[in-house]
Amino acid sequence: MAETTPRPPSPRAPSPRARWAVPGVVAVAVAAAVGVPALASADADLPDVTAEQLLTRVAEAGPAPVQGTVVYTARLGLPELPVSEMTGADPLALLGGSSTLRVWSDGADRSRVSLLGATSEYSVVRDGAEAWTYSSTDDEAVHYALDAADQARYDALAERVRPGAEVPGGADLPTPEQAAAQLLAHAEEDADVTVDRPTTVAGRDAYQLVVSPTDDATLVSRVVVAVDAETSAPLRVQVWATQDGEAPSLEVGFTDVAFTAPDDTVLAFSAPAGATTEEVVVPLPDAPDAAAALPGAGTVPEGVAVSGSGWSTVVTLSDVDVAGLVGGDAASLGTVPGAERLLGSEEAQDLIQEFVPQDDEGRPTGPQLDTGALYDQLTTAVPEGRLLSSTLLSVLVTEDGRVLVGSVPADALRAAA
Amino acid sequence: MSLAEAPAAPPVPAPAPVAWLRLLRSELRLVLGRRRNQVLLAGLALVPVLLGTVLALTRDSALSGQGPSFVGQVTGNGLFLVVAALFLCLPFLLPLCIGIASGDAVAGEAGAGTLRYLLVVPVPRTRLLTVKAVAALVFAACAVLAVAVTGLVVGALYFGLHDVTLLSGSTVPVGEGVLRVAGIVAYVALSLTGLVAVGLFFSTLTEVPVGAMAATVVVAIVSTVLDSLPQVSAIHPGLLTHHWFDFAEFLRVQVDYGVLGQGLAVQAAWVALFGSLAWARFTTADITS
Repeated sequence: MAETTPRPPSPRAPSPRARWAVPGVVAVAVAAAVGVPALASADADLPDVTAEQLLTRVAEAGPAPVQGTVVYTARLGLPELPVSEMTGADPLALLGGSSTLRVWSDGADRSRVSLLGATSEYSVVRDGAEAWTYSSTDDEAVHYALDAADQARYDALAERVRPGAEVPGGADLPTPEQAAAQLLAHAEEDADVTVDRPTTVAGRDAYQLVVSPTDDATLVSRVVVAVDAETSAPLRVQVWATQDGEAPSLEVGFTDVAFTAPDDTVLAFSAPAGATTEEVVVPLPDAPDAAAALPGAGTVPEGVAVSGSGWSTVVTLSDVDVAGLVGGDAASLGTVPGAERLLGSEEAQDLIQEFVPQDDEGRPTGPQLDTGALYDQLTTAVPEGRLLSSTLLSVLVTEDGRVLVGSVPADALRAAA
Repeated sequence: MSLAEAPAAPPVPAPAPVAWLRLLRSELRLVLGRRRNQVLLAGLALVPVLLGTVLALTRDSALSGQGPSFVGQVTGNGLFLVVAALFLCLPFLLPLCIGIASGDAVAGEAGAGTLRYLLVVPVPRTRLLTVKAVAALVFAACAVLAVAVTGLVVGALYFGLHDVTLLSGSTVPVGEGVLRVAGIVAYVALSLTGLVAVGLFFSTLTEVPVGAMAATVVVAIVSTVLDSLPQVSAIHPGLLTHHWFDFAEFLRVQVDYGVLGQGLAVQAAWVALFGSLAWARFTTADITS
């Protein structure tokens, strides 16, 4: 007798059909909440500019304080590397797939970039001539600094370029208009520079500057730079390959950005207590060296040959000990957390100890990224040696120790070898 | 007899909020007083105790500082025992407990044959379902708190509480560290609300409580599996479990509340969808047992 029927409790209550409509309405509302912002990001409506005007604005704007989230996506056509799953946030993950970074910069000489893993982080903090890297996975900090003499020279140099200070030969420095014109003229020697339809990046209207190489021999189809319409700061760079017209092979751009000065606590860094800290002294190159290292300085170091021109340039390095580089410093690639093997019986444990690599204190270090195996996996054997071929760059390592690098198809490299 | 005719002129009907609270109190007493649920909570509280004891015993051996994320930091700072224990419980143990509590909510009564008697009482089905949902949510919160509070106590006893080194390498004072860990606990608890709604919906579908419990746990596991397949990356942001580990955001130098808000918005969407499905099913179903 206590059976209840599906009849509504009161005459004014909605019918069963009306009740079942409620989840339907909720589903539609959820779908709309997801879909509407995606549809709303239509093309921006901005006044037309020429490439030269756009470059002038960028040159005028200069560096500014910025903080935001950057998503980096590489579709280089390389074999899948499960690096991030193995080691957490690791710079090696940038070889393929998608990574999220967070960026803070005060627009001058202090900045922080953090590569985010699910529950890990790899940070690079720069303060003038000093820099720190910190990996949360192995709780390890590396401090890069100049020695005292170089630091004094750096400070003197920094003082000279500080705004307000008198710049020697300041009258000779080009104005932003001249710099933009020079840059444009240089780029147009072997590429077409155009302005594409405006777009929206990180919710901001942006112009798109397109550089398309006129050279057919290169793998690069075009480079697209999205420039913020308001602040003229670059918001996104895409590199498209000729082989893949669907999606850019390399894309790095803000998904969220604010042009405000970051908090001082973010830009400050000191090695956390208990972390392993490594000190690295970086030599500051002498002034003549710096000039030689600049592109277009004309001289190339010994053992380096350049053939071709423009976008299809092939650089050949001679006498490189690739095997040594590859087989060498595997330890620097980090250990894999949680991978140590522990077995019940002592005999079994001893057996494992025989095979598991250990560090100086006899602790199991866990399996390491085998760079030799990584190299074998990334490259393929060809008659000339080993070839790494991606959608944007080809690298050929020959048996006689030469390394050929170029943004050209693999066959062109093999022909050159 | 229909639900509408059930009240044979109730003598003095209590005002709605009072009646609601009275119903909730009896439901909470039922859920939290059930021996099975108490054992579940005790089992969850045992995780940080075990973890802390193992880490305390091995801290001077060659094995210290090893383990998945956060576990290595526990010996240096007891606060991390809360984070490490939640990290270990989140993939399976917590969903299991949530599944048992929420899957049992309606199906348990139906299975035991008490649901039809409950419906004879002049209580609208909507109110009954709301009370069941709130009780399941309270149990979920208790489950997370059981892990967190024992983690804090055991961690403080074994290793002490110290300044917290964030994932970004910055160090914050212990007071702020406690606040950040409290944020993690709150985020983890709120992350489980979607699963509670799913469990409640399954619970209204069947009279076999074990079926609803198993289905809820399976949903959590399938969601995790889908989340690990790059081929379906398009649906990842909407998956129930995708944002669960975003609690790590609280351990970054600048907490991005946008990321956390996204995770909570996904949970809200699951709650709205499966909550309304459960409501539609429960208020229209033929309840015969």
